[in-house]
Amino acid sequence: MDRRDFLRLLSYGCLAAAGLAPAKSPAGQAQERERPIQFVFAQLKYRGGDWNPHALAVQPLMEELMQRTSVEAAPARREMTLTDPDLFSHPFLYMSGKYEFEPFNLDEIDILRRFLSYGGFLLVDDALGQPGYGFDQSLRREMKRIFPEKEFSRLPTAHPALRSYYLLWRIGGVRIVRPYVEGINIGATTPVVYCQNDLGGAWERDQLGNWINPCTPGGEPQRRDAFHLGINLILYAMTENYKDDLIHVPFIQRRLSR
Amino acid sequence: MSEMFFAGGLSWWVVIAVGLGALAAVAFQFIGLKQRLGTQRAAWLTLLRSVVYAALIFFLLSPGLIHKRVTKLRRPLSLLIDTSQSMALPAASGKSRLDLVKEKLLGGNEPLIEKLARDYDLRVYQFNTSLDPVAPSEISKLSAGGRGTRLVEILKEASRDAGPQGAIIVFSDGIANGESKGAIDSGAVSAPIFTVGFGESQGFVDLRVADLTAPEFAFRGREFKLDLLVQAYGLAGKTVPLYFNRGKNLVATRSVNIDKDAFEQRITLAYTPKEIGAHSFSVSAAAQPGEQIADNNHKEFRVEVQRDKLRVLTLSGSPAWNYRFLRMALKQDPFIDLVSFVFLRTPTDVVDVPESQLSLIPFPIDEIFLEELKNFDVVFLDDFSYRSYFNIQYLERVRDFVRDGGGLAMMGGIRSFDSGGYAESPLREVLPVELDGKGRYRMKTRARGILTSSGKAHPITRLLPDPQANEEAWKKMPPLTSLNLVARSRGETLLQAAEDGAGGGPPLLTVGRFGKGRTLALMSDDIWRWSFGAVGARESPQNHLKLIRHSVRWLAQEPTFEQVQIRSVGGPRAPGEKSEFKIQVLNDDFTPAAHAILKIVVTGAEGEQTRLEASEESEGQYRADFTPAREGAYRIEAEAQLGGKTLGRDRKNFSVAFPYAEAEDGRPRPELLKQIAETSRGEFIAGAELNAASLERVAAKLNLLAPSEIVERTEIPLWSTLTTFSIILILLSSEWWLRRKWGMI
Repeated sequence: MDRRDFLRLLSYGCLAAAGLAPAKSPAGQAQERERPIQFVFAQLKYRGGDWNPHALAVQPLMEELMQRTSVEAAPARREMTLTDPDLFSHPFLYMSGKYEFEPFNLDEIDILRRFLSYGGFLLVDDALGQPGYGFDQSLRREMKRIFPEKEFSRLPTAHPALRSYYLLWRIGGVRIVRPYVEGINIGATTPVVYCQNDLGGAWERDQLGNWINPCTPGGEPQRRDAFHLGINLILYAMTENYKDDLIHVPFIQRRLSR
Repeated sequence: MSEMFFAGGLSWWVVIAVGLGALAAVAFQFIGLKQRLGTQRAAWLTLLRSVVYAALIFFLLSPGLIHKRVTKLRRPLSLLIDTSQSMALPAASGKSRLDLVKEKLLGGNEPLIEKLARDYDLRVYQFNTSLDPVAPSEISKLSAGGRGTRLVEILKEASRDAGPQGAIIVFSDGIANGESKGAIDSGAVSAPIFTVGFGESQGFVDLRVADLTAPEFAFRGREFKLDLLVQAYGLAGKTVPLYFNRGKNLVATRSVNIDKDAFEQRITLAYTPKEIGAHSFSVSAAAQPGEQIADNNHKEFRVEVQRDKLRVLTLSGSPAWNYRFLRMALKQDPFIDLVSFVFLRTPTDVVDVPESQLSLIPFPIDEIFLEELKNFDVVFLDDFSYRSYFNIQYLERVRDFVRDGGGLAMMGGIRSFDSGGYAESPLREVLPVELDGKGRYRMKTRARGILTSSGKAHPITRLLPDPQANEEAWKKMPPLTSLNLVARSRGETLLQAAEDGAGGGPPLLTVGRFGKGRTLALMSDDIWRWSFGAVGARESPQNHLKLIRHSVRWLAQEPTFEQVQIRSVGGPRAPGEKSEFKIQVLNDDFTPAAHAILKIVVTGAEGEQTRLEASEESEGQYRADFTPAREGAYRIEAEAQLGGKTLGRDRKNFSVAFPYAEAEDGRPRPELLKQIAETSRGEFIAGAELNAASLERVAAKLNLLAPSEIVERTEIPLWSTLTTFSIILILLSSEWWLRRKWGMI
């Protein structure tokens, strides 16, 4: 805590002690009961393969998101297909799977292309972790159909998606298939991020609060990295290249150099 | 004067043969008569017959007389005297150029003007920007006050007037600064032009700042350059300091080493303006000893310093899709420089890592609100409540920022308007909506934005130029799921929120004014659907983009979004000439504002101010006239009020200068006068060499080009007259009478 933070907290404390702390208005009290949901974790249902390898993954991530950040998130995920009329109400889309899946039809290709070209974000999570096989093979095939001119490329450590909240040096997941994530860039943004380390498996927790899948070889720190990546990617989707703004750059560089 | 001529068509041998025959006949006659009458009488009769024969042979040649009558012509001669300002410059002898002209024409025992008037049909003119006749007796009263020299144009006009027999003598220093400044075409003039040059190039001393090129607009913090040309005559070997001033403050100096006569050097100066606004600059050099024109040592100009980009500050209470798409729209605009802060964490959020592993930066409250705020054009409060982050007093800075001309937009959300605590804040009086502390944030609505009558005309909501298409576009915008309800609108409501397309709902988009600034309230945090939702509906996301961009520009009071606009500065923009300003005034809803009260002030280079009266030409269109007294950089500022409310203001820079820049460069130009003389078959005569001999050359040259007299001829035939017949009859009768007397008949 720097001097300014300390003084700010002190001033709040003094205001509160003097009874001058901003009181909640009646309307504000009412609103505390019903906060507006800013973020809904939408998961893509597709044909073939296994679209839902970790059914219990989302809630733990949402709890983390709300506990750590100012984002008001819906606790439960929203399942949707590409032809869902509500698809464009949820700019963040999560796609997970283990196995090969059926090709998207032309309408779906067009929808996903428009979704990603005009502000939507797709987090792809390979739960199998076998590069060149199963889900990975199908995913790369479909992405090639959506963006024939684009290729997946490795996100550099300085990418704003890896700095949007946490300063990430490691990529977590159930297993470390790739120590990095890949992405497809359109202009200055990266609307598709692809992780092959099974993030969903690392997030998944049973009803009793126990982790379902052990993270190897890094254990709990590796799981924590998976949560951090999930939170970073959500914030990246909601703030775009915010952390690339000039005002942030020197500050982040100072922190990284310590 | 008469001359004899023979019109006969007979050959010479015929005439000789006839003559010989006549001679033989006369000889026979004399011999015959001598035997009968004696020698004396025979000689008389033979003489008479010989005369008759001689007369007949003479008349056989058809003799005649030619009478010639010669008339001397007085050739038209136009005498043109340059009376432009440069002719007042001192010549080498210390007298002005025009004084020397007068001396040449009027001086001496037999003044040149009298000689010319005697020999020619003389017409005298003075010229500068126009050609005006003057009486020869008025030459002594001519003064060099013309503001320009349309030399080439004037000579063409004079040549047309002179006609094919005419000639022109022009007395000038050769400075030509009309539309045509260079050589004259041979086909452009028909009369020969004799040019008499005055002014000595050798003794001419002058330093001038010429050809200054500076941008009309510059950007704050960004260097701009001005290029200028320094010319010097008769100052070789001197070093002259050049001063570059902003207003009366010296910005930079530069030494100019004049290493030769007829010196010329291009110089580039640079300056980085730090303050926004219209600034006067000048480049000048001190007058040098012996310099003949000091006015041209100084040049002033005005530069409007603007922001290179519109600087926008956004404060967002949390990451949200509204921020994401607002950011997208702002970032894609190359004319917007965005600084945004999103509060990613609240004081109650708990992080699981040390601060050093977070990318969060402390919100620089003091820097933003106490130092940097004035450098922004527009501030967006996007679902942001000050209560969690800083003291309410910082909002007083925001209020002052708007009062001083800044733009403020408040976007909806749970942290905005009443639910953000702004009803108890200094922004309550600033915002264009009434806050009473009871306003609610309503979710799960399906509200569409319905254009009000103001919204149909306002540039913020005019997304498409066609009103019908614009209305259709708004109808197609996806519905919004959240609304901030406010007590009422205090400004112009452009959009009303209406569920299922019904009108008359609460205000959704309202704009207003506070002090010199503008404000906007958008009562929803869900307008990102107008972008992404439109894409889902296979509509264009451009309307959201336009709405954001239009809002920023309107809030920043971009000229194209101004309600008061100085549309044009017409007229010659020369001293003494009337300039005309057209001003458009619009109401808050951007309909034409009739009967507005305009305050129009023109400020000159020295800070002198003139208040202008405006007249309304048509609804919302006003006009004002201004006649500048002198050259220089001027600024016009117009402010319009209606019903006690200021509708807006605008300002424009303009410069006033004589179109001819007569005093800019006073060097005599004998080379141009020589070219004109050669092209027109005339002759160049240096002023000092103008005398009787040179005038003789002029006359000779004119005679070569065309005769100076007309000869009238009258032919009188001698052989076919009654007199001729009578002489021959008398001779023959006399011979008959003598013959009878002497008894031969």
